[in-house]
Amino acid sequence: MLDSFNQTPFLHSVITIGSFLILLIGLIGALSKKNLFKVFLSLAIAESSLFIYFIGMHFSVDKVAPIVTDQVTKFSSNMVDPVPQAMILTTIVIGIAVLSLGLSFVISYYKLTGKMRIDEMDELGDNK
Amino acid sequence: MSIKQKISIQTISVSFVVSIMIIILLGILLNFTTQFQPTLGSDLLAINANSTETANAVTSVVTYFRGFDTLGEVTILFLSIFGVSLGLEGFKEKLNIFSYQNTLLKIGVDTLFPIIILFGIYVIVHGHLSPGGGFQGGVIIASGFLLMFLAKGDDFSINHKILELVESLSGAGFILIALLGLLVTDRFLGNFIPIGEVGELFSGGIIPLIYIFVGIKVSAEITALLEYFIRIKDVR
Repeated sequence: MLDSFNQTPFLHSVITIGSFLILLIGLIGALSKKNLFKVFLSLAIAESSLFIYFIGMHFSVDKVAPIVTDQVTKFSSNMVDPVPQAMILTTIVIGIAVLSLGLSFVISYYKLTGKMRIDEMDELGDNK
Repeated sequence: MSIKQKISIQTISVSFVVSIMIIILLGILLNFTTQFQPTLGSDLLAINANSTETANAVTSVVTYFRGFDTLGEVTILFLSIFGVSLGLEGFKEKLNIFSYQNTLLKIGVDTLFPIIILFGIYVIVHGHLSPGGGFQGGVIIASGFLLMFLAKGDDFSINHKILELVESLSGAGFILIALLGLLVTDRFLGNFIPIGEVGELFSGGIIPLIYIFVGIKVSAEITALLEYFIRIKDVR
């Protein structure tokens, strides 16, 4: 009975729906939260759904990781695609860089104005 | 009353449109079947089998086939740390606001710190043989320094001059290896060191060297980033 769950199309649909839910959580947080820290961290959560989707859609039940070990002694077509993993490695590092730069802007803004919430910002004119 | 009704009708219609769009998008995504025809990845695996002698194909894609991209990636990380230091390093004396006055942590960190650093170095050096590599090992080393910051408080600080020196020297080493490849093999990031056998520590040509430089650079950068973020309160 459990074999029907261990099929590649079923696992792909599970990964699709799960990463879509994570994307929704991140977007709802980024749109509805007023604290600047929470906005940036919600964007980071929304970004992580992309990582799961990219890696997960290249997962396949009958394939192994692209690493030669004692059991798998040579490269063959029985291995998953290594290119998405390398690209996601790049994306994770760039995500860290962008997140740290944004959080440093938040800290500098708080030091300059003493405000942290989006609905209290009025540097570019009156709010009302 | 009429305004309230208008807003509620607007909300209902917008949520209706959004739910229809979500259903359509999920339908498209779920019907998207990946037919594994001969792709770029299988070609790269076939090339990797007889050209680089690296056990980990992801490492050879990151540092050899896409090595120029990795150079740009490391540059983006450097620029980000540069921006953070411009924004946060206004005053010289900073206070560590995240330290715990915990005796168990203070004693245990002396035992744990060398083990974490050793594990990070292991992950960096074996990046072409096993899962892991420069970026992952660099972050592990930075987590060891984070533990020191949390436990020691203001007693432990790192000289930023030394961090900048290590970071820039490792970045220069990366470019130097790439230029040596250009001189010897007429190709930027070309492999000019004899490749050994699959599975040995000294194999893969320039790939372990590049990953070691990337690991040193990433660990110095993430440690500098942690220090900037953990000392943000000005001493008054």
